[in-house]
Amino acid sequence: MAAFGAMGVREVRAGLAAKEFSAREVAEDALSRIKAVDPQIHAFLEVTEEAAYAQAAKVDEAIAAGRLAEMGPLAGVPVAFKDNMNMEGTHTTCSSRMLENYVSPYTATCVANTIAAGGIPLGKLNMDEFAFGSSTESSAFGITRNPWDLERVPGGSSGGSAAAVAAGLATITLGSDTGGSIRQPGSFCGIVAVKPTYGTVSRYGVVAFGSSLDQVGPFARSVEDAALALNALAGHDPLDCTSQDIRTDFTANLAEGAKGLKVGIVPAFMEAEGLDAEVRDKVAEAARQLEQLGAELVEVDLPNAQAAMSAYYVLGPCEAFSNLARFDSVRYGYCAEGHKDLGGQYEDSRATGFGPEARRRIMLGSYLLSAGVYEKYYYPAQQVRTLITQDYVRAYEKVDVILAPVSPRTAFKFGEISDPTTMYLSDMFTISINIAGNGGMNMPVGLGAESGMPVGVQLISPQFKDENMLRAAAALETVYGPAPVAPAFCPER
Amino acid sequence: MTQHVTEKDVRDIATYTRIALSDEELPQMTKDLNDIIESLKPITEYDLEGVEPTFHPIGSLSNVMREDVETTSFTQEEALSNAPKQQDGCFLIPAILGGGDQ
Repeated sequence: MAAFGAMGVREVRAGLAAKEFSAREVAEDALSRIKAVDPQIHAFLEVTEEAAYAQAAKVDEAIAAGRLAEMGPLAGVPVAFKDNMNMEGTHTTCSSRMLENYVSPYTATCVANTIAAGGIPLGKLNMDEFAFGSSTESSAFGITRNPWDLERVPGGSSGGSAAAVAAGLATITLGSDTGGSIRQPGSFCGIVAVKPTYGTVSRYGVVAFGSSLDQVGPFARSVEDAALALNALAGHDPLDCTSQDIRTDFTANLAEGAKGLKVGIVPAFMEAEGLDAEVRDKVAEAARQLEQLGAELVEVDLPNAQAAMSAYYVLGPCEAFSNLARFDSVRYGYCAEGHKDLGGQYEDSRATGFGPEARRRIMLGSYLLSAGVYEKYYYPAQQVRTLITQDYVRAYEKVDVILAPVSPRTAFKFGEISDPTTMYLSDMFTISINIAGNGGMNMPVGLGAESGMPVGVQLISPQFKDENMLRAAAALETVYGPAPVAPAFCPER
Repeated sequence: MTQHVTEKDVRDIATYTRIALSDEELPQMTKDLNDIIESLKPITEYDLEGVEPTFHPIGSLSNVMREDVETTSFTQEEALSNAPKQQDGCFLIPAILGGGDQ
């Protein structure tokens, strides 16, 4: 029996079309593989068996009626969702005690679009609590292990989404990225991971962290699979007024190659303090590969990019403070028992329901937005945002895409980074992209010379030109190949 | 290092954000917040004279109106489905008036 979660989109579709297997068999096999393999990794918080079989039945009916060609791009493909995405009837916990017993009464648009495109929903995936973190260690429901080395973190906050794809448990998963939470775990787990331009995918039904920064995107093992998922995800949603009317076919220019592509290199990134040599070497190698494929390398300068970290750690907590005020122990979420006054119930519920990083960020955001402090940090952070955005706009006058590191290092060991400010450095190369609202993605380029762990490069697009980075990634894929399933989890074919 | 927030400030922030903070937790939270705020220092050192703020990453958005049509939404039952406590179709909270029940 094939392992369908380890197959690509095209392979699944071809098998369904040739009636080599049914969607029901895809669902059965994917679910049993999760049962057998996931206890070692713990990517899944909930498995949605009933929904998977119901969707498989729909796909099989369509095939029986000769309508496979009319089905969406993900027909019969095993998919799964980060646990901050509402899917009706499932728990949506954000990996927090606060939402442990919350059952979604509705479905997020990104989830609905994936299922409408034919995806077979397998379940919900572990994450850092409320997406605050870079290792998935802050989940209230246990750690997720990196399929490449079970002693190491999968990255975060979308660690479960990355690990599930790297272990061949699903073909496509969705994550969300506020400062690097798709790209960094994609890099740590060696898979393709796309954070599209802000406004590409609806945020409706995704539990909000930083509303001006959050964006949903896919994890996959090939660039084409990620592009097909984006085709299903992108577009205007009346329920998210920031979502744009995008009708791009993200697969359209994948075969164009790198010839004539102008690729920006940021010298300050390559020389940055804290960037490990094995990562730097791989990024430089990827640049040379693109050049050999006919791309032109152009040095570009992002002089204000180093201010992105501090701007983000002002803006992120401020927006999180505001968004997390909704958890009031009254309408939904954890409620501490035995309180005779409402204030005591609020304070006890929020102290117990939120983990330490959530509490820190809420309190930090409250401080930063207080009178007198707002003028010192929040307003300047929004001004710095203008400077960073202008840097990117100027750079893209000269280039089509920028090549940079994703994470300063490969996956670290559990407990290795415990200090919050050090953990924040994990996102030093990814944050400025959220600040400016551009598209950014991780493209795996093999293993680091020292750690033997996956290394990825970041490709960064101008706003609403995400096809540029996908084209460059597809060119790199001709050299490095599609992302493999982690060796220890490679199914026998 | 500059002390940006004192233990008393952190106590006030905890009250404002409705997060109970024990006396044991207070020193560590104060240290963590001071460390993080110190790391934000670069933002205070930029020359930002005349720079407009960006509150939203997509600059060219304009407001749009939609048709005012009635659509279905949550039923009362659905809206209450996750309520920790409910009574007679309403969310139930402890008494907020009276103050004599402590």
